[in-house]
Amino acid sequence: MKNNGFSRLEICMDTDNPFLLDARAEVLRKRSENYFGIEIDDVKHIRVLTVDTKLDDIVKKEFQDALTNPVTQKSSYSPLIGKDDMDWVLSVTLRPGVKDTTSDTTKDMLAPLIGHSDFNVFSSSYFAIKGSNLEREQIEKIGKEMEANHIVQNFKVYSNEEWNPDVGIGRNTPKVRLNHVPTFISMPLSEITFKGIKTLSEDRQLYLNEKDIPTIAKAFNDQEFLAERKKYGLKGPTDVELEYLAQARSDHCNHNTFNARFNYLDRKTNGMTVIDNLFVEFIKNPTEQISADIADVVSVLWDNSGVRRFNKDYYYVITSETHNSPSNMEAYGGAITGIVGVYRDPLGTGKSSKLIAGSYGFCVGPRDYKGNLQPFLHPQRLQDGVIEGVKDGGNKSGIPTIFGFYYEEPENIAKSNIFVTAIGLMPVDVLHKPAYEKEISSGDLIVMSGGRVGKDGIHGVTAASEGLDENTPAGHVQIGDPYTQKKMHDFINEARDMGYLKFITDNGGGGLSSSIGEASREKNSEGKTGAEVWLDKVPLKYDGLDQWEIWVSESQERMTTAVRLPCIDDFLKLSEKHGVESTVIGKFNNDEALRIKYGSKTCAYIPTKLLEEEFPQWEFDAEWVEPEERGLYEPKGICEFINKIADHGKLFKNLLKMPNIASKEWITRQYDHEVQGTSVIKPLVGIENDIPSDAVVIRPDLNSEKGFVFTQNVKQKYSKIDTYHMVTASFDEAVRSILAVGADLGHLSGMDNFCWPSIQQGSENPDAKHKAAQLVRANVALKELCLLYNNPLLSGKDSMYIDNTMDDVETGKKVRMSGLETMQYSLVSTIDDVSDCLSCDAKEAGNLIYVIGATKNELGGSEYYAMFGEIGLNVPKTDSEHNLESYHGFVEARQYVDTVKVVKEGGLAVHLFEMAAGGNLGVNVSLQNLLIDDSVNRDDTAMYSESTGRLIVEVREENKVMFESEMGDSASCIGKFTENRFIINGLEGNEIMNENIYDLKKVWKSTHGDR
Amino acid sequence: MMGKKTKEVRALVPYGEGLNCDHETKYIFELAGARADLVHVKDIESKNVKINDYHILCFIGGFHAGDENGGAVKWAYDTRRFIYDEILEFVYQNKNMVMGICNGFQNLANLGLLPGFDDQGGRRVLSVSYNDCGNFRDQWVKLKVNQDSPCIYTKGIDTIEFPIRHGEGKVIPGENVLEKLVDGNQIVMQYCIKQTGELANKYFPDNPNGSVYDIAGICDPTGRIFGLMPHPEAFNHWTNHDQWTRKKYHLSKNKEILESKLGDGVKIFQNAVQYAKEHLL
Repeated sequence: MKNNGFSRLEICMDTDNPFLLDARAEVLRKRSENYFGIEIDDVKHIRVLTVDTKLDDIVKKEFQDALTNPVTQKSSYSPLIGKDDMDWVLSVTLRPGVKDTTSDTTKDMLAPLIGHSDFNVFSSSYFAIKGSNLEREQIEKIGKEMEANHIVQNFKVYSNEEWNPDVGIGRNTPKVRLNHVPTFISMPLSEITFKGIKTLSEDRQLYLNEKDIPTIAKAFNDQEFLAERKKYGLKGPTDVELEYLAQARSDHCNHNTFNARFNYLDRKTNGMTVIDNLFVEFIKNPTEQISADIADVVSVLWDNSGVRRFNKDYYYVITSETHNSPSNMEAYGGAITGIVGVYRDPLGTGKSSKLIAGSYGFCVGPRDYKGNLQPFLHPQRLQDGVIEGVKDGGNKSGIPTIFGFYYEEPENIAKSNIFVTAIGLMPVDVLHKPAYEKEISSGDLIVMSGGRVGKDGIHGVTAASEGLDENTPAGHVQIGDPYTQKKMHDFINEARDMGYLKFITDNGGGGLSSSIGEASREKNSEGKTGAEVWLDKVPLKYDGLDQWEIWVSESQERMTTAVRLPCIDDFLKLSEKHGVESTVIGKFNNDEALRIKYGSKTCAYIPTKLLEEEFPQWEFDAEWVEPEERGLYEPKGICEFINKIADHGKLFKNLLKMPNIASKEWITRQYDHEVQGTSVIKPLVGIENDIPSDAVVIRPDLNSEKGFVFTQNVKQKYSKIDTYHMVTASFDEAVRSILAVGADLGHLSGMDNFCWPSIQQGSENPDAKHKAAQLVRANVALKELCLLYNNPLLSGKDSMYIDNTMDDVETGKKVRMSGLETMQYSLVSTIDDVSDCLSCDAKEAGNLIYVIGATKNELGGSEYYAMFGEIGLNVPKTDSEHNLESYHGFVEARQYVDTVKVVKEGGLAVHLFEMAAGGNLGVNVSLQNLLIDDSVNRDDTAMYSESTGRLIVEVREENKVMFESEMGDSASCIGKFTENRFIINGLEGNEIMNENIYDLKKVWKSTHGDR
Repeated sequence: MMGKKTKEVRALVPYGEGLNCDHETKYIFELAGARADLVHVKDIESKNVKINDYHILCFIGGFHAGDENGGAVKWAYDTRRFIYDEILEFVYQNKNMVMGICNGFQNLANLGLLPGFDDQGGRRVLSVSYNDCGNFRDQWVKLKVNQDSPCIYTKGIDTIEFPIRHGEGKVIPGENVLEKLVDGNQIVMQYCIKQTGELANKYFPDNPNGSVYDIAGICDPTGRIFGLMPHPEAFNHWTNHDQWTRKKYHLSKNKEILESKLGDGVKIFQNAVQYAKEHLL
């Protein structure tokens, strides 16, 4: 019998010290007020470490001393909070089974003091809250909607009467108890029919596609196969096998939508175009065609990330992911798991790479959302959560977060798109062998490294919330652990350099099922396939998992590797040194089948060829109706309104406050963008470091002057009109962004991330054909531009089903809502000498301002129209061939330029402002001198049109002649930088705006502030 | 073992356990003329690699053990447990040099090596705690160097700029500690106002974390142990600086040539290497 005693150490800030602020408590106080208007007089935060064994006095003292900073903290083994210190206590504990690094590292400290490891540590915390008028419901609201997410945490509220200062929060040692003997089951052979499998699929939430079921049914009715299975004691398909097949055939793993056939009908012409395979025709073929002519593209479209040559010693490796559904349920956990997860992709590419950068993109609902539809998390809470998740995930990984964007759109309340990008650097050779190639040989051992396996992420987050008691593991949501992964990263990089790794891939969606499953189907050095897996060897977080659960669990921070037998001891030793758990869990062979064992029993036997069977292709009808026909129009009201005003200053200030235009410094500053010492063009630049860069540059190989250039964007508003023009605008803006920091067009690599609402037809999705047409149009545009710019797509992902059903609080009904058709475009370039880079902050008063490219009447989907609640019709149409020519001219002229700024959301005036504000300068410009299209006849159109192809540049007088001779008539001088007035003269020559730059800057920063 | 009979200055940079900044710290030591070895923390704790074979020990930034119980709490605990005697020998007997940057500075404070008062006896008398702004912050700061400080690393530097990147960087001295730090000129660097160079006097964001007395870095009474929150290793190249494109503009306009592509951070490490050459080789 273990002893039933426990010890509970409470630690808090010593607020008697006048220098001290209880920062964590302060966050609760501020957010309670901001989120709910709940005013708290005083709050203390107390951290609790509960050890489920009785500690002797010597151990107690030593442990307490180690964990308490004598200058700033107080601690005690009895509750720190008496009745006088609180009106309410809010205690927050983790549900059992949730990854808790605090507990793990604390246990590491305590174990040597106790002399054994047969105990557990549980970390939790509570807040002692004071406020004269606070009610229980208010504290419960803070607990429920702010501090504790019921999926991963429990909370408890104590009133002053209920609080016992001798007992405090009591014993908090939530252990997982499953009381379950692991078993696997077989379907009776009689039930292997279409109906039988379909019923089972529904019962077990396998989400098998109906079209796949006949193929599976056929295989398990094959007598030869059944005879072979008999050798291993198997009859009908086991649950392990069906889970494996379902994972392998899932849309997530197979991209069934992108590989579908599309019948595209243009309603205007009634012309029908059939696209045999969207992915092959628009992404794969163009990329292969382009890559064939570019020797330095070494790996695209098949590995975890794309690989391209950076310099003589290194390749860069890049990939981008979304983590939408989890982030919409548990924002912090979803986002941290997302960023930490995407960092495993370059780690698992080729023979592994070192992570050198990351980025984020948040497409979220309005922060001040007050509508009737109730998303699972209010946008404000969701945003705070994802921002914090990416912060902890990125910063604690020691990887600079070099870029990012934040984009609000009302439709995003349906489902926010949370993008995360990972960039790695891979040596060209490892011990004289190409590092980008994986090579499995029969006899290689399968090793799982990193975290342990629990019920995490089994079948996604769908069934998360029901029927949990305090000993139920928080099964479906994962909290990424950057600390565990950072150790694994260092270990894997070293193991690679020692030559131990032959193959590596990460465990993401589908877990071992997907990582080992895919590896076992790769041809090995003898041209064969196959593997044997020993599931009983897989280290578990807690006992009681069924075999199929071990096989498909998505527990994080795990890599699967192939290690040659002679290296295994050294590999395991190195792993131990790095504090990383590595376990041999199988071996590759030539058996042309995957055989999964648990102890002596075989629980799955699937021949490789079964998953290579031709599963039926999906098919979609797409129907394109022109925007006018869909009821979109150019708003007339604005025209009348604008003709009446003489001073545009006030209007402009309102535009600067728009969430997508306003300063987002508060996010950028929280992210370490300089670790690794590689920063060149930072995400924020300017004399006060407060202006967002269009693109960023790092110098990832410290022994080289070569720069890695990166940008990304979304153009969600344009998708409301036409995704073809959305994609061309996105691409064009990305190209201008890398040009703006000094990169050339000679090296471009792209990356597409599609987030799309469902295009499956059904009564709940009446415009499915339109969404399908939008998907086709986006891909058509992408293909055209990739070919034009000689731009391979190194990596790409799709996340379908950006839809949600929400309660309408006014009508009490459930409402289904789709997100916007969205594509994030990422663009990489290089620059030979980082000292040649440019930033976008204006340098000196007196210098000339030129605008390259024409301004057209293109306010459709603009931020300006959105300010009036309008969408419009005239979406920016990109003349890509013309622009490309102009950019080639600009590259020649760039030597005469000091500063370059891209014109994008908000139009010319906004980006002129950002450029000038970067140098704390003013401008005096005339719209009369702007290159404009005949259709532009209003000042607001000229200032706020979002026409693509445009750059603003700063040129010194001395370089005027040379610059103009290079640019010809594709650029025109519109004025000068001045001391501090922001002056714009209109198309009629009259002054229409005259503002102080510091006032504008203040307004621009007022929306988000420094949260 | 190699011993220290070689003619080169040897710097030891422990890594692993969630620390980062390892590659750039090694790189900048090499730019400064040292031979720098990245050695896993465990190899040092197990004494596979002996710290006393080195002249300079640099505790780098990062999140040791995730900093789960506060900045460098476990790191200092482990260091004490495994190699405290070796460190004392390294510092006090062999009179070698120790640097702590960011998480490494927190480690030195927790180990009691800083401020290193004679009567300190390994106790913690100074805390590096949560930023007043309540959040992690990445920002360039301007630092004023105390010209009367015994600090070896900052010789010849008046003001210098580096990035800070931390959530816990507010230096809080214990009782009577501030007076002693001031008296001994152990406050090496203080945050100052970017435009004027005057002390920030807690003004945010020039003082980014609310640090008492604007303290950004301190040294022990000998000047051989130096801890700071800003990251000198992140200014290894002139293009790391937050204003470098503006500097480039003025160079170009005035037809001047860039003197060196090295970042100012290299000076800190050059000073260390120079001292080691003169006193420790």
